[in-house]
Amino acid sequence: MIYFHQVNKYYGDFHVLKDINLTINQGEVVVIIGPSGSGKSTLVRCINRLETISSGELIVDGVKVNDKGVNINELRRNIGMVFQHFNLYPHMTVLQNITLAPRKVLGMSEKEANEIAMYYLEKVGIPDKANAYPSALSGGQQQRVAIARGLAMKPKIMLFDEPTSALDPETIGEVLDVMKQLAKEGMTMVVVTHEMGFAREVADRIVFMDQGRILEEAPPEEFFAAPKEERARVFLSRILNH
Amino acid sequence: MLRFSILVEHWDLYMQGFGHTIKASVLALIGSLALGTIIAIFRIAPIRPLNWIGTAYVEFIRNIPLVLIVFVFFMGLPAVGIRFDSFTAGTLGLMVYTAAFIAEAIRSGIQAVPKGQMEAARSSGLTYLQAMRYVILPQAVKIVIPPLGNQFINLVKNSSVLGVIAGLDLMYYGDLISSKTFVTFDVYIFVALFYLVLTIPLSLGVGYLERRLLKAR
Repeated sequence: MIYFHQVNKYYGDFHVLKDINLTINQGEVVVIIGPSGSGKSTLVRCINRLETISSGELIVDGVKVNDKGVNINELRRNIGMVFQHFNLYPHMTVLQNITLAPRKVLGMSEKEANEIAMYYLEKVGIPDKANAYPSALSGGQQQRVAIARGLAMKPKIMLFDEPTSALDPETIGEVLDVMKQLAKEGMTMVVVTHEMGFAREVADRIVFMDQGRILEEAPPEEFFAAPKEERARVFLSRILNH
Repeated sequence: MLRFSILVEHWDLYMQGFGHTIKASVLALIGSLALGTIIAIFRIAPIRPLNWIGTAYVEFIRNIPLVLIVFVFFMGLPAVGIRFDSFTAGTLGLMVYTAAFIAEAIRSGIQAVPKGQMEAARSSGLTYLQAMRYVILPQAVKIVIPPLGNQFINLVKNSSVLGVIAGLDLMYYGDLISSKTFVTFDVYIFVALFYLVLTIPLSLGVGYLERRLLKAR
């Protein structure tokens, strides 16, 4: 489903991604962890070309993402993305936020789009907020709307870029629950997070990154019990023992 | 005590000037909004040469005195065979000058919308233009209204530059009445009042819009 081969990326002189090789299969949940500045977010943002790669090959859903002739909008409609800061549209209601892309990209009627939006709002547990504006919602609710907005396009892949990092601790759980449910239903998910409990419980595979490199790739039970890399050990001991 | 007799006796002349000031302001406003929007798009479009043209326009025009720009239209272009009457030359100069400031207001309004908004819109499959239309511009409008309102008020006041080239506006007729009557103070007080009749409602209107847009969030 997602295939990185020898991918490198530079910001000017700064080498953000170094020789990335990674394959993610359909239905897999891959959690990417690592210290800040290790390139996790950049890696995820390459998948839907919010960032372009400098060299190597990146194939998503059978499409070479960085080829000149690629219709990026066509590819993106199949990839949902959830951001750290939600990025809901503040001038639109929850319902309008969710229905914008289905209507304008897929050409759905308003009625049909509204039905789908309500279906996903039920799913994330806040159908009563359909006509509220984002500013009236808590962080956790906003992020659940953002997830519903992504799902309403019926994507094949969902990307999560630190979805709980901007939330207060009390609302992190409700967002993670929605994500767990999604994983159970077989969605292909790539998740950048610092939530180790979530990673351990839900991930099929953990990818550990540091300084632009993938240092370790392992199933969670293996990774958390005995990380092979010294850098991963230090990282885990720092975030688990506090 | 103000001599209201001056106002009464020269009412027709004042009205002539008042009418032309309104006409010049409205025409320059429409023109500079259109031109300013185009220049703003030039400045932010992801196409380098357009960026340069936009930047050059803004930096050139806004760093030259308005009077000089009007002189170019009135006395410079006739040298190459393009002739305008003084009213047209003044209005064109005003439009070209104001467009630079409007372009800046619009550009900074669009760029003040957080980057994540464009990213969210694009990653859902919307095209650049759709994202602009449905997500970025509706938010930018709210940011742009106050500075744009200020530019419109400046525009009305700046239209007095027409007086310098006999552009038939309020300032020109003020000068005319003053030289006929040998009165200065009273004549120009009335001129000032006519400008206030235009600018104060504008100012209040902008404030009202601003509050309404804030509430609409």
